[in-house]
Amino acid sequence: MSVLTVKDITKEFPGTTALDAVSLSFESGKVNALIGKNGSGKSTLVKIINGAYRPDHGSLELDGKPLDIQDPSDAFGKGIATVYQEMSLIPGLSVAENILIGRYETRGAFVDWKRTYAKAQALLDEMGIDLPLREPVMNLNMWQCQVVEIVKAMSFRPKVILLDEPTSALAQQETQMLFRLIRELKKKDVIIIYITHRLQELWEIADTSTVLLDGHFTGRVDMEGSKPSDILKLMFGNVETKSRPADLEISDETVLEVKDFTRKPWFEDISFTLKKGEILGIAGMLGSGRTELLRGIFGADKVDSGTVVLDGVTIERPSPRSMSKAGLAFTPEDRKSQGLVQVLSIRDNLCHACLDAVSPGGFVDGKLVRDYSGRQVDALSIKTTDDSLPMTSLSGGNQQKVVVGKWLNACPKVIFFDEPSRGIDVGAKQQIFQIIWNQSRCGISSVVVSSELEELLEVCHRIIIMRFGRFVGEVRPEDITIEQLYSLCMGGETR
Amino acid sequence: MKPATTTKIDLSRLSKKYMLEIILFCIVLALVFTAPGFFTLANILNILRNVTLSGVISFGMTMVLIGGEIDLSVGSSIGLSAVLTATITGALAKAGIMPMETGVFVAMGCAILVGLLIGLWNGFLRTRFNIPTFIITLAMQNVVYGAAALISRGFPVTTLPDWYNWIGAGRLFGVFPVPAIWLLIVFAIVFVIMNLTRFGREVYAVGGNPESARLSGINVTKVKIIIMVAVQVLAAIAGIILSGQVMSGSSTFGRGYETDVISAVIIGGTSLAGGVGKVWGTFMGIIFLGVINNGMTLFGVGDFEKYIVRGFLILFAVLFNTIQIQSLQKARISK
Repeated sequence: MSVLTVKDITKEFPGTTALDAVSLSFESGKVNALIGKNGSGKSTLVKIINGAYRPDHGSLELDGKPLDIQDPSDAFGKGIATVYQEMSLIPGLSVAENILIGRYETRGAFVDWKRTYAKAQALLDEMGIDLPLREPVMNLNMWQCQVVEIVKAMSFRPKVILLDEPTSALAQQETQMLFRLIRELKKKDVIIIYITHRLQELWEIADTSTVLLDGHFTGRVDMEGSKPSDILKLMFGNVETKSRPADLEISDETVLEVKDFTRKPWFEDISFTLKKGEILGIAGMLGSGRTELLRGIFGADKVDSGTVVLDGVTIERPSPRSMSKAGLAFTPEDRKSQGLVQVLSIRDNLCHACLDAVSPGGFVDGKLVRDYSGRQVDALSIKTTDDSLPMTSLSGGNQQKVVVGKWLNACPKVIFFDEPSRGIDVGAKQQIFQIIWNQSRCGISSVVVSSELEELLEVCHRIIIMRFGRFVGEVRPEDITIEQLYSLCMGGETR
Repeated sequence: MKPATTTKIDLSRLSKKYMLEIILFCIVLALVFTAPGFFTLANILNILRNVTLSGVISFGMTMVLIGGEIDLSVGSSIGLSAVLTATITGALAKAGIMPMETGVFVAMGCAILVGLLIGLWNGFLRTRFNIPTFIITLAMQNVVYGAAALISRGFPVTTLPDWYNWIGAGRLFGVFPVPAIWLLIVFAIVFVIMNLTRFGREVYAVGGNPESARLSGINVTKVKIIIMVAVQVLAAIAGIILSGQVMSGSSTFGRGYETDVISAVIIGGTSLAGGVGKVWGTFMGIIFLGVINNGMTLFGVGDFEKYIVRGFLILFAVLFNTIQIQSLQKARISK
């Protein structure tokens, strides 16, 4: 049996302490889960173990011997393999080629394919897996790709294997297939560190769970005989959830009605209504269909069925064009690739959703463009000296404000915010919340999707909970704690 | 101290922004003093006339490249348009439906209509099946050339009325070349569309990031089809001008013109990645190539050498743009 010990590790970034004197250990022969909410420091710890970061203070030890890691390739050489959630496979090459890439069996200058395939087959047999070795990886399922990644990592005979959220892109049945392989790994003398945000998986696959909170190690739980509440307590501590300003009123008038929306396999039979001025949150784990639902209602993706009634007008087949005309706005979760045109100016971007308004008769009115752009730069305090500068001159938070400003220029009745606070700092986050509240005061409703549950509790009037593409409940922020909301999101089986 | 630095920065920024214009001016100045017969009205109008054919299409290609697409079939389309105009004019006259003098109008209309249909087809394949326009138009280059050769049976068609020569070789008030008028009109129209209309803003947005444009409520399909149609219609017009110039239509017209056209647009600062470019820059690019060509002719440089010089010019233009962009990014990061 071998042990990886983390001793007193501290890592600081400008403005935050990501890890504060963390000491813990992981043993071989079991699945060691590492959990914590966003920003808890778990990904920083993973990156220190695999050499992507160097700690400011503290050390690592493997079986009592100090482990000094210079960089990721050094870590790899010292027996630490990482399987990332985003795939590193080459789609056009076969399974065997991917597993043994760079280490093909050769005869002189030529690859000996016969022996290469035999070697790959031996690796699969060893782990009790059956995969089509000659199939190009692009024809495989997501879970099969994950399996190839793990086999590839194991073929280097590592002492430590880090699995970074391997199930996040998998459907439920696929997860089971992957778990079978992970259980097989336990028989080898390898330290398995399993990073996840899916709490419900822990009792299925993990033997122990190590919990981090705000850069501190808060406890280690043996899965046998424990309950979700034991872990939730360690994950959230005693957080004080802030609540929205008291003056936000909801009127009785319904502004948006969503009926029987279905897009298999993402979501099924979703219906809800939204009142004027209301801020509605949608909570759910990654893969619960939250983002897909917003995109479906906005018409960004085709749905199987469903109708939208916006401000009394029924829209049969929504498209971004018809929905934005009808008064719906959508700020996508990935602002760089979906929300903005990076090569164009701030001013151009601010006018992309209101081209009708700034170009009466088809001709762009330069004065209107400057007015519309300047209005949002002022109202949202977008930090720039000149709005004709390119988007790339802005920070993440200010870019997000441009996405919001672009839609405010279109005078919407309802705004969908998909992960509005992703990748922006605390100050900018509060400013975005202020914008959402201000819109509510003007009678504009919002739907907010966020994986940060405390944000939903802070911002919204009402929260709908989604699990595996279905609505499973509805709560008010004032009636619920963050632990309760979390367990509702991950599934009811409280033991 | 401070004001001095500000002016310095402004000067360097201005010189970077108008680099092409400055280089062009220097070359022109050098030619004025060294090249025999360069600085004469006749020669300057000659340059303008010579760049008309590729110039007219270049403005369409600017829209296409800014919109994030490309059209490699425009050269063949010049030939098809010229062949169609001459053949239809001849056929109408032979059948006794219309004399050549008026029949040529119908023929020109048909040629432009065919250009429009080719553009629609390219745009349809692009937007419906998501095939890159590089491949679509590479294939269509062959189809269009073959069609033109088939219709003309490989021979030049000369059934065109005498007045038609005016379109391609006429002179306004006895001096100003008529084809240059078409060039200026097309420049003006495309300049207005790309800089002053809503559609122009949409082309930039679609080329810069199609997904963001789509989610902003812009009709990406429509924009892409319209730009693919525009460049083909302009290629058809170039075919009409060329057939007027030489008073015949042949499928070999315009072979390889796509290189000239795309070169001018790229020298003018338009990015192949889409979203970046200026119509004015393309105009400068056209004149630039025209002046260099003319200068080389005046100095008696041979055709083969001209190809080499032109090739390196394109390389240097792109290299220069790339280095400038990279240094801008570095400056931003170091800030």
